[in-house]
Parts: sequence; structure tokens; C-alpha cells
Amino acid sequence: MRRWALPLLLLAALIGAWQLAATSGAISGALHLEDFLVPAPSDIASSLWKNRSLLADNAWVTLKEVLLGFGCALLAGIAFAVALHLSETLRRAAYPLLVASQTIPIIVIAPILVVWFGYGIGPKLGIVALICFFPITVNTLDGLRSVDPDALKMMRTLGASRRQSFLRVEAPTALPYAFSGAKIAVAVAVIGAVFGEWAGSDSGLGHLMLQDNAQLETARLFAAVVVLSAMAIALFALLTLAERRIVTWR
Amino acid sequence: MRQDTKMPTEAKEFAAASGSPALPGIDGAGISVRALQHSYGELRTIERLDLNAAPGTVLGLVGPSGCGKSTLLELIAGLLEPQAGAIEVGGATEISERLSRCAYMPQRDLLLPWFTAIDNAALALRNGGARRAPARREAARLFDRFGLGGFERSRPSELSGGMRQRVAFLRTLLSGKPVLALDEPFASLDAITRAEMQGWLAGALEADPRTVVLVTHDVEEALYLSDRVVVLSPRPARAVAELRAPAPRAAQRDEAVTDPEFVAVREEAMRALRRGSDGDDVRLAMDGDR
Amino acid sequence: MNPRRPSVFAALILLVLSLGLTACGEKSEDSGGETTQPFHLTLDFYPNPDHAGIYMAQRLGYFRDAGLDVSIDTPSDPAAPIKQVAAGRTDLAISYEPEVALANERGLDVVAVGAIVDKPLTSMIWLEKSGVKGIADLRGKTIATAGIPYQDAYLKTILARANLSPSDVKAVNVGFGLLPAILGGRAQAMLGGFRNVEGVDLRLRGKRPVVTPVDQLGVPTYNELVLVANRRQLEEDPEAVRLFIAALERGTSAAVKSPNATVKALLKANPDLDPKLTAAEVKATLPLLESSDPAQPYGFMDPARWREFIGWMRDNAVLDSLPAPSQLLSNDYLPGEIPE
Repeated sequence: MRRWALPLLLLAALIGAWQLAATSGAISGALHLEDFLVPAPSDIASSLWKNRSLLADNAWVTLKEVLLGFGCALLAGIAFAVALHLSETLRRAAYPLLVASQTIPIIVIAPILVVWFGYGIGPKLGIVALICFFPITVNTLDGLRSVDPDALKMMRTLGASRRQSFLRVEAPTALPYAFSGAKIAVAVAVIGAVFGEWAGSDSGLGHLMLQDNAQLETARLFAAVVVLSAMAIALFALLTLAERRIVTWR
Repeated sequence: MRQDTKMPTEAKEFAAASGSPALPGIDGAGISVRALQHSYGELRTIERLDLNAAPGTVLGLVGPSGCGKSTLLELIAGLLEPQAGAIEVGGATEISERLSRCAYMPQRDLLLPWFTAIDNAALALRNGGARRAPARREAARLFDRFGLGGFERSRPSELSGGMRQRVAFLRTLLSGKPVLALDEPFASLDAITRAEMQGWLAGALEADPRTVVLVTHDVEEALYLSDRVVVLSPRPARAVAELRAPAPRAAQRDEAVTDPEFVAVREEAMRALRRGSDGDDVRLAMDGDR
Repeated sequence: MNPRRPSVFAALILLVLSLGLTACGEKSEDSGGETTQPFHLTLDFYPNPDHAGIYMAQRLGYFRDAGLDVSIDTPSDPAAPIKQVAAGRTDLAISYEPEVALANERGLDVVAVGAIVDKPLTSMIWLEKSGVKGIADLRGKTIATAGIPYQDAYLKTILARANLSPSDVKAVNVGFGLLPAILGGRAQAMLGGFRNVEGVDLRLRGKRPVVTPVDQLGVPTYNELVLVANRRQLEEDPEAVRLFIAALERGTSAAVKSPNATVKALLKANPDLDPKLTAAEVKATLPLLESSDPAQPYGFMDPARWREFIGWMRDNAVLDSLPAPSQLLSNDYLPGEIPE
């Protein structure tokens, strides 16, 4: 609990300063902080409360997209990393393509996916998975490649088969790296879900944000952003917790 | 792999003294190296080397850093295939058969941090298909013997350097292989711990004899632990001298290494080292029985 | 003294100086000697045939004749311009009649000062091959929308006329992906495209679209594109806006007279436009730029029609209140309306 005190304090200070700037006419005038551009924290808070069920329903939609997409990326990413690790040829062929795939802007891919797969959860899942795949794969692969070759030699003399070496040495070595990749992925997965919804949806926080933008419902727009951030933070924290439970040797 | 043979008397005494049942001894396998030659890329690392080790004895290899001692161990242990020459371990010449007869203990302890000490030690048993509980029981029997009692559940990070080396050695022992290839096992330890560990290893080998090839840069260590010591030249490695240790694995280490005969042999070994470094093309016959 | 310090110091001074000079430069007047006033206009979208009058006026120097040095900005999204003008970041913004009403309800101090297009362009579009003959045929079909809430109200009204409710159709928010939705066959109809943009595009592709503006389907008529000003700025400097609208009228007339020159002016303003498509869109747009009521001045916004539309917005829960048209618009800045 103690470690949360300092960041929370800083956050409170920032929000306080923001509230002051918003409500003090002099400051908000000088900074051009109209409330339809940047609402005061108090307005955002009251919008959060007033629209709590609307925000909760839409948050659940987006959360499903994030969790499913992230889950797919986790399985595919780890499998892909293992495959690239075990086959030198495959790694040489696929790794540069993997890197190049990340340079295609999601803004371009999202509408294409929507046109191909329709307006269901499919394309959103696809976009989230695409965004998450790269950090998971690259980090896991790095972890696998960081294995001490002497440790593998040692295992061979202890009579280990390839499979046993993999399970007992390579996989545990790669585990902390995989977690790193997963944490990065989950932080950006939320953004992917929003982009997917912007390309075509009828629900979700991204969809709500678009509507709020068009209707100048700025306070609720910011409230949706707060919920999205909270979602990303919660997922990140969950992963960190899992990491601490599973990777007990670091 | 395990063979029941008669126990050396010292082992029985050691076992009786430590109060735990003696392990059935392993006869060890003989090692024979003929005209060995090996290169690393363009670089010739080993040049026409001949070595012998009788079953159940310890062969010490000393030489300057970088002379190829570690490569030599890997070749013997079946981790590498030599470019020329023949290696025979316990009658087997083929690489995978050598591998199945040798247990290689690298310089660093390489204990896996995600396993407890006992699970690390039992690795060879688990790899062999043993289930976890029986493997742990088997390993536990040795923990007390080797002064690690109570630390079975500890993580490697919680153990001192000396204790980690002991666990690593236990792990090597538990593989049940007749040949142990030890690569500078005590290099990372401080002088006092190293001396203690040498005494400990001597006792362990008396209780549980194997054929051992021991690589070290410490001449005194080689002479204390081995039956015979071969001095190697700098790269490309050749045998410069072969010496018989006066009091292999003597019970009182400190007394043994200050004994005049021991000191004389050590001086001779140092001279041989220097000769080798100076590039003197001296090759001694294999059975240098003095 | 650290020998590295002087160069870092010098670099900082240079940076500050150059920033200062740039800032000063923006405020300076035209170096050509004439005194023109800088004037910022923010479009509703990227430059397109709806802006024909603006770009012709720019190209033929009408703004300069009126003493205005007009710079034209493209917004990040269509909802941004009205916020920018409300925040005083720009002098005029192009927005939509419903947006003006919504903004007013949110407390933005803005007012519509002239209509660029005084009739609806937003249309319900379906392709001939979809088999849809009328609104009633939309039952069970997928309709792509732009996700704008008041347009959802259009849909509700349109469906109601055929005794359908929104639950009888599948409405999907595709954002800007209206054309891909219908071209890809994912949607059988789309609401939110402009008759002179998406309608023309589909026709040019040989898709044979059926294009019906929403005011022919039960939605009260409204001004699709209006110029919006900040009320306070308007009080401080009404002349600039007047001069702008007058110049815009001249530009619009010129555009109507010379479509080819208009196409050229647009392509120059936005080189990303497709020449063939732009030419066809310009042809469809120019007639729409003319006033519906020739008896009224250029840019006239009919308060009675606005009142009806506001009423419709309130009835459909897009607005909570019923503002008076005089709160939302002013025809005082139109050419020929100069008060005595």
C-alpha cells in the first residue's frame, strides 16, 4: 500500500491544479480552457457518476474485445516465438517481416479489416491482436535466445532430451521476458480496441467517444477516456501481480 | 549405468563417520585419448594430444588460460566431435555414447534459479523419467552427507558460493554417470572456501569413486585432488609433462600440501608450465612413472 | 569554465530569437504595402466542391479586394471547427445547422452568420441492385451510418414514415467508412453521405445509386453548411465578417459561371482530389450553392424553417430545450443587409 501513496499524491496534486485552472476565470481565460474543450475534473467526475451505467455497459464491450484480442495474441505470439526460436531458417525469413508488419499504421488496417470481416467483434479482436502480437513475440523470442548455452550443455550431459531442455531451461528463462512483452501489449491493447470501434461499431467506449465528440459532450468524452485508462492500468496491474506469483526467482 | 561393486575402505569409513548409508560405488570407466586434434575455425586449439585415465582415478589437467582445457573436456564428454584423433570412454567411441557416460560440470554452477536446491540436484533423475517425489528422496539422502542438510528447499540465490558448487556437484554425481568432467569447479570461490571445497571433494570422491577429469589452473589443487596430473602448453595444447601426485586426496589437506615431496612435485609442475609457455618442444612419454 | 557551455548557451539564444521572430512574423501585416487584415477560416472537412465559392474567391483575389488576407484551415474532424471558433481560435468556421443548435445548448457562444448551402445534402443512398425500391424495403437490411447522433434521429424519422422503427433495421456506425460499406456489400443502404459527393462517386463507378436527400423523406429542411462566428468577436469586428461574406458571394457567382476554373482551383487547393471525380462533383454541387429563395440576399437563413427544424430536434430528443432562431442565427451580416 505504501508504494501507491506517492503516485497518488502526485496525481491528486495535478488534478487539483487542473481543477483550479478550470474554475479560476483568470487562469482558464489565459490558457484558453473553455469547458467544451477541456472540462474541469469536477465536471468529469460528475459525468462519470451520472453516466455510470452507460459507461459501464460500453466498457464491458470494449473489455471483451481487449481480453479476447490479447488472449489470441498471447497464444499466437508465444507459439510464433517458440517456432522462430527452434527454426533458424524460419527466424531469418520471418523476423524482418514481423518487424515490417508493425510499421503499417493501424488507422489504415482497421477499416480494411472491418470491410473484410464485418461489424461484429471480429475486426476489433483482429486489431487488438495485431497490436499485441509484436511486443509479445519479440520479447519472448529475446528471452528464449538469452538462454545460457552452457546451461543447455549441462542439461545434455544430464541426459535431457530436447523437450526436457526446453521445458526446464528455455521456457523458464523466457518467462520473465514474455511477461514484459505482455505488459507492454496490454497497455496498448486498449488503444487498438478503440481504433477498431472507430472503424465500425455500435457500442463500446470508442464508439461512445465518437458520439460524444460529435455532440460536444466533452465531459462524458473525457469520462470515457478515464474509464479506458483505468481499464489499461487494471490489466497492467493484474499482469504484474501474476508475474510476481509465477516468476518467483527474480 | 549404476553398477554395484565393492566399496573402497576409505569410503566405508567416511560413510560410517557421517552416519548415513554408503552409496553403492560406481566402478568408473577408463578414458583413453589418442592423437587428438581440434581447431576452432582456423585456429588450432589442440595438437596431437594423448591422455589416459584408469577407471576410478582422477586425472588433473593444468595449463595456462585459453589453452583449450575446456574444449578438451567437452570433447571427452561427448559434447563436441574431434576433428582428428580418437577418444574412448568406457569402451565407447561414438559421441552420443560418450555423452551418456559423462557428466559435465561447467565452470559456473549454472543452478537453475527457478528450481529449489533439491530439484536442481535431482535434475538428472527427473530427465531420466523419475517422478518428482522419488527423485527428491534420492537427492535428499546426499544433502546431509555433503553438509547441505536443511537447505533442500532453498533457492540457489539464497545459498553461498560454496554451497552452490556443492549442489552443482551433487547434481553431477546424481546423474549416475561413471565419468565426471569437472571444469574449474572452484574457480569462482575465494581461497579459503576453495581449500574447504577441495577437502570436501576429496572426501566425496573417496565415498563415491568415479573416473574424474579435472581441469584447473591451480597447480596445487590439481596435485592434491588428482592421481595423475598432465601439464598442458598454451594453445595449441600439447602435453608438456605428466606427473604422479604424491598424496592424492589425502585426509589432512593442509598438511599434505606443505609436505616436502608435494612441494617438490609442485615445483616441477610449475617448471613444466613455464617450459610449455616458452615454447620448448618437449614431449614426454605417456607413462611418466617416476 | 566548461568549453562546451558557450555553444549551448549560444544555441539557446538562437532558438529563443528565432521563435520570437516567428511569433512576430505572424502578427505583422502584409509586406506588400496594402493593409490587409488576417482572417482565419476553418473548413468543415478537407477542401471539396462544397467550398467552390471560397476557393474561387481566394483564387480571383476577391478576399484581398475586400481587405482580407484569408487563410484556410482543414480541421482534424468535422466536430472540431465549431469548437475552434467558440474558443476564439479562428474567425469563421463552417459547420452544420444541427451542430449550431447543439453547440448553443452546450453554452458555446456562437452564431450562424450565413448559409453556404441552404438545403440538405445528407442523403439516404442505396444501390439499384440491392433491390430496395422504397424505405419500406429496408426492413431487416443493414444501414451504414456515420455515427452522428442527430443523424440517427434522421433515420428514425425516415423509417417512421414507412412505419418502421430502428429495431426493424440493422444500423451500423461505420464512421468515415460509408462508401466502403456499401461498395463492399456489407450494407445495403447508407445514411450520411452527401448527394453531391458520395452520390456522385457511386454514379461514376457505375453503381447506379438511388440518392434521396433527407428532407424528401420526412426530415424538415435545414441548412447543410453554414458559416459560424464567435458572438463576442462578431461584436468587436462585424465588418470583417460582412466583407468576407460579400466576397464569398462574388466567388460563388464566379464559380457557377465557370465550372472548369472552379475544378482547377479546387485541385490546386487539394492535390489529393481525383480530377475526374472532382469535375463530376463540381457539376452536381454548383446548382446547390445558389440560394433557394432568390428574393433573399446571398446566404439567407430562414428563421421559420430553423424554428421547424429545432422543434424536430427537440421532439427527437437531440435537443433538450427550444432555443429561438434569433439565438442561433443572424442575417445581419449578409450582403445587402447593411444596417443604416
